[in-house]
Amino acid sequence: MGIQQKITGLFLLVSTLIYSQEKPSYFQPSLLRASATIAPTRFYNQNTTVAFINGFVEYILEDKISVRGEGFVMVPKSPIIMFNTPEIFQRNCNGWYAGFGYHLGKKNWKMDIHAEPGVLLTELAKNPTLFIEPIAYQWSVNPSYLIKIGTSLYFSKVCHFFAEINFSDAWARKTPYASLSMKQYGISAGLGFHLLTKRK
Amino acid sequence: MKGILLIFTLTLGFCFFGQADRKYNPAGMLSLGGRTTVSLFNDHKNEMTGTGVGGQFRLRFSDAVNTDWFFDYITSDILNYAHRTDYHIGWSVLFYPINQLDYFRQDGEFKPKFRPYILAGHCFDYSRIESKADATVYGERWSSAVQAGLGTHLELSPRFDISLTGQYMIHLGNHIETDYNFTTGELSFNEHKGASLAGHVLLTLSLNYKIAKLWGFSRR
Repeated sequence: MGIQQKITGLFLLVSTLIYSQEKPSYFQPSLLRASATIAPTRFYNQNTTVAFINGFVEYILEDKISVRGEGFVMVPKSPIIMFNTPEIFQRNCNGWYAGFGYHLGKKNWKMDIHAEPGVLLTELAKNPTLFIEPIAYQWSVNPSYLIKIGTSLYFSKVCHFFAEINFSDAWARKTPYASLSMKQYGISAGLGFHLLTKRK
Repeated sequence: MKGILLIFTLTLGFCFFGQADRKYNPAGMLSLGGRTTVSLFNDHKNEMTGTGVGGQFRLRFSDAVNTDWFFDYITSDILNYAHRTDYHIGWSVLFYPINQLDYFRQDGEFKPKFRPYILAGHCFDYSRIESKADATVYGERWSSAVQAGLGTHLELSPRFDISLTGQYMIHLGNHIETDYNFTTGELSFNEHKGASLAGHVLLTLSLNYKIAKLWGFSRR
């Protein structure tokens, strides 16, 4: 067999392999996906980084549109850098959001953007006076919004990788001092799970 | 009586005739959405910009008329001595004045479109102004309001849209005024009864998805 025939044969073999490895599109309407991960988050005005547990559920409504709900729960005593006094940093903080996502890109590799209105619950000091011990705390419910930009790679029938940058803002007004901006940005990444709820 | 019946029948006939060449009638479309609101230029003394969150459903009555049924939760500061919470529950009628233009016709593949509208409506609201230093010091009121403004949908798919609305809301009825003594730090509330007009500008961004068609199914 001459060298030309060998090269032609090799090309044919490779093209057959590529053809056989063509994956179906896992991302399609009726896909339900969910995950939970740790989201390191920085509070912009308080110069403090904390860990949130971030979980979400998302349903793909159309080729590019999805509906999504998610929660962020601050891990207790998780502030990594904290120079703040109780009147400007919360003891506890939870965010709950619901909104829509827009997805662009190749069939199993998507660029995602999400806009989600929601609420941020914060537990701040009620009487942050130096001489009153123990400090009393109070919860407040604050209007908030969350913007996420990220990417997802659907590599199997049930699993995908995702990585997202989160930005949210809220004002905690139920505090004895000036209201606090709860502006924060962070990242969420990890392994997600999905399943197709309707067959074509 | 016969005359009235005849006119009614003729009117109905014209309605059907007018819609005979329509392939698609959006009446009866129900959408569900979430919204975020910014409250500006508040009439209350020393009140600063507020931020809010809420939800809405949208029910369309005809090609040119839609309605929003909403709930908003808005908080704002009154300098740094009090904070205010507003709950709005109400409805707005959306009118599409240029809906008949060819620009809005979707033939073939869907293209994203802006769809401007004029809106006007009414809402009930509850407001509570609370001292920051002492939560037991507060004033509250129930009132009614009317609102009107302009907006546009950005239709990104046949069923999904983002809507931006700017409107002015005038609260009718009782009005609470705060008096703060900056020397003593004492806060007091005065309630004024009557037709006091106090308002604010609301900028609302909402995300909406059409979930059902309740009537007027499209012709095939």
